[in-house]
Amino acid sequence: MKPTRLLVLWLALSPLLSVPAFAQGAATPNVPVADAATAVVVAVRRLSEPQYRQSIADIFGSDINIDARFEPELRENGLRALGSATLSLTSAGFEQYFNLSQEIARQVLVPTNGRLATPCAAAGTAVFDADCAQQFLAHYGELLFRRPLTAEEMQSRLVMAESGTQRAGSFQTGMQMALSSLLSAPDFLFRLERAEPDPAQNGEWRLDAYSRASRLSFLLWNSTPDAELLAAANSGALLTAAGLQAQVDRLGASPRLGNGIEAFLVDMMQIDGFDSMIKDATIYPKFNQLVADSAEQQMIRTLVDHLVVQARDYREIFTTRDTFLNRSLAAVYQVPFVSDEEWAPYTFPESAQRAGIFSQVGFLSLYAHPGSSSPTVRGVKLHEIFLCEHTPEPPADVDFSSVVDSDAGTSRDRLLDHMNNPGCIVCHQRSDPPGLALEHFDGLGQPRRYENGQLIDVSADLFGAKFVGAPGLGEFLYNDPRTSSCLVRNVYAYGVARMPGAAERSYINAQIEQFAGNGYRVPELFRQMALTPDFFSVVMPEGAPLTATELADAGQ
Amino acid sequence: MNKRPSSIKLATLLGAALVAGLSTSAQAQWHRSYVIEWNEPAMYFGGENSIEGPGTDCPQGVNPELDWVEVLVRAGYTREEAEWLRNPANPTRSPVHGQNQMAFRGKDRANIYTNPTSYPDPGLYPMTGSIAEGLNLDGNDDTGFVSPTGEPGIDNTFYQALGCWKTYRGPERLSSGALQFNDGMRNGSWTMVIVVAGEGDDPANDNNVSVGFYMSEDNMVKGGDGEISADYTFRIQPHAKYEALFPARTVDGVIESTQPVHAMLRDPGYTRDLELLQAQIRLEMRDDGTLRGYVGGYRPWLPVYEGWVNARGPVIESLTWVELPAVYYALERHADFHPAGRNEGKTHISYALRVDALPAFVVTPDASEVATEVVSWQHQAPPLPTAGPAMIGRSRIIDGIVIDPNAEHQAGPDAVILPPQ
Repeated sequence: MKPTRLLVLWLALSPLLSVPAFAQGAATPNVPVADAATAVVVAVRRLSEPQYRQSIADIFGSDINIDARFEPELRENGLRALGSATLSLTSAGFEQYFNLSQEIARQVLVPTNGRLATPCAAAGTAVFDADCAQQFLAHYGELLFRRPLTAEEMQSRLVMAESGTQRAGSFQTGMQMALSSLLSAPDFLFRLERAEPDPAQNGEWRLDAYSRASRLSFLLWNSTPDAELLAAANSGALLTAAGLQAQVDRLGASPRLGNGIEAFLVDMMQIDGFDSMIKDATIYPKFNQLVADSAEQQMIRTLVDHLVVQARDYREIFTTRDTFLNRSLAAVYQVPFVSDEEWAPYTFPESAQRAGIFSQVGFLSLYAHPGSSSPTVRGVKLHEIFLCEHTPEPPADVDFSSVVDSDAGTSRDRLLDHMNNPGCIVCHQRSDPPGLALEHFDGLGQPRRYENGQLIDVSADLFGAKFVGAPGLGEFLYNDPRTSSCLVRNVYAYGVARMPGAAERSYINAQIEQFAGNGYRVPELFRQMALTPDFFSVVMPEGAPLTATELADAGQ
Repeated sequence: MNKRPSSIKLATLLGAALVAGLSTSAQAQWHRSYVIEWNEPAMYFGGENSIEGPGTDCPQGVNPELDWVEVLVRAGYTREEAEWLRNPANPTRSPVHGQNQMAFRGKDRANIYTNPTSYPDPGLYPMTGSIAEGLNLDGNDDTGFVSPTGEPGIDNTFYQALGCWKTYRGPERLSSGALQFNDGMRNGSWTMVIVVAGEGDDPANDNNVSVGFYMSEDNMVKGGDGEISADYTFRIQPHAKYEALFPARTVDGVIESTQPVHAMLRDPGYTRDLELLQAQIRLEMRDDGTLRGYVGGYRPWLPVYEGWVNARGPVIESLTWVELPAVYYALERHADFHPAGRNEGKTHISYALRVDALPAFVVTPDASEVATEVVSWQHQAPPLPTAGPAMIGRSRIIDGIVIDPNAEHQAGPDAVILPPQ
């Protein structure tokens, strides 16, 4: 897929979005929501697959079957959330969404469903009922678009529903067509964030209430705003400190906060790619898709239990020996699975040298080659994920011949040989030490002490910081302040879909300090950040009007 | 190879006492656990070039494929009837008629599967070699075979009886019988695990070792290379029948029985029950973590024959090139043991099961802890299901044949073979 830049998409969608008035009726807002005439779309983010699925479940019920392949997502600066702000749709991708919209509409309005077989009790099945249709579309339109429908949006769907009813001789069919139209609209498939002139600060912009609601909901619940949150946006309460506090308290107290934090952790820790992971069956015969799926689940279960359920210190994810196992994973770890449940808590003994999330099979196997471990790949990913330090791609003319021969010596020997190349040492002296500390785990993450008959040395020296093995690496990361600052920056970037810039430096530093003051508790970090005005700050996209006056001029 | 009843009785009593003691054994200092990934009758292969060709074990090779028309003619059928029954194009050569009629070739057309002595011994090619795998069950070096490594006194007349039958002959893991039953086991039909526990400081040399064989309902898992993966966890499933506990010792990493016991294992064969009297083990804990060796003893031979019969006699005969009464006579001829106090002749035959096991984790039946001790779990076993007729797939086997009561033609002593002209 070819990503499209934000501005291109913004311009393409602008005509759809800058309609001047909201539909009249039940969904009509009665408070200061963004005046479309002066509103500007400042960010566009495609819903991720989990967000799409959860939104549909929340709006229509969890029994709606979603059987489809979704467009691949793009990771930028370590986060898919950032990539989502640059993604468009391919024609094939839109076709998938369109087919899915029809299927979901059919399930929602299927006559045998009973729940929504007829949107309104009084409606006949063959006669178009305008009031009923408007009531139905206003309700679900607001939930799907995360704001009330505009008059034009409503009118176009009413026309579609009426036409469909007449042509098919079925009101339900007409409503299915209108609902399908909502489900395949960019306003649903993309999170469109709008800015409006800030009445408190002349010439400044602020995020409108509905966009704030979406930002909150997707951060804290990884789903669409619920009716209460939309009502707070509709009433304008969300624009007040007290109203924001009330909603953050409510959302933050819900068990669904775990969904939001889990989605963030999966994104930040890059817990993906397990569906396409390949291992050489002759070298790692224990590997199969069940092991891959289990490894993914293990990382998620460990993180969620540690950071959400137990609300423990974030830095302990680098040192903890507590995790969860199933039978398949236990075989890979070469430990017994003592439980009659599918999954069971497990604490690695110290002798296993497993400490930290990076010593789990998921990380170790994902960041390795199909037939061997890779200290470099593991080290690059450790820096990227936990320290927010990105490593440049190797030069095109680099000679890898001494590294790829995994049948001779140890990885350390091969890499030292490789680093004799002065063009390589700059990056490798930073990337390799953490990976070398993990060499007691092979390319699948299985324990080992020897490679090609030679004892493996897992000591490491990272610019003078010396550590041994995974436990030593974990202690190093635990004590490195970059890990917590990286997390804070990532939470911010994940929530607002852009990396914090120089202007936000003091804000981020304050958040880091508060995070430490709260005992490095991640749920607290989410709540504290969601309450700050900076979390809803607006950065006008390039080419967008800078003032309301300019916007009005642009519309003429 | 016969053991005198008095010494058998003493050894059995000692074994029983030791096994009883196992259930209250002291806390083990060390333990190992394994899953049996392959097991087959220990049949030394002396073939030169092929499974069917001659070798030091079977100078004439395996029993050759039979001309079943001639067999039927010898049994009293007219040539026309025999050819009719064996003609593949004949629509009545169905399992319920043509094949089933193969059963009725005894004296007065008795069913030879249920009455093998109604048929003269067709004979099996004899295993005439001097080398055999297995154990020295009676402790007598002067009787029996010599092992492939030169150890005398190997008692394995089961091999002597059936070693030249195509079903059993072949290199390790390559005889048709071994492949068939181990494929079933490895694909989930059953799982047996082994727990080894010792009380000494040195697992390789420990005078107080216990070995337990248990069933598990957890399937083995094949890796990407098609082989069974090590290190999986198996929960002991208490079984009212299949369990065996051996008092033993280790010498240089080899586990040896210290007393014979009465053992019941899951047989990798149609018999299912591998009951062994005077059972012993010799299993090597190898450097690569695997376990390999033998479980030997005297097994009742008649159930072995009945196992083949109940696998559908006519099919077994056709596929394995043998007349089943020959198996009956061979087993009877080579039987070398009977339990103390029994006078019905040699009811048991010396036998060895070759076992290959992978390192695995074994946990107690309630999955609450790793099984570190060898104890009996049979008191927790659910009752055995009521025995029904032998089954092959969904077909009931009665007297060695599948009978379809709705079939137009029925086999039997008085069956009309040829259709009306």
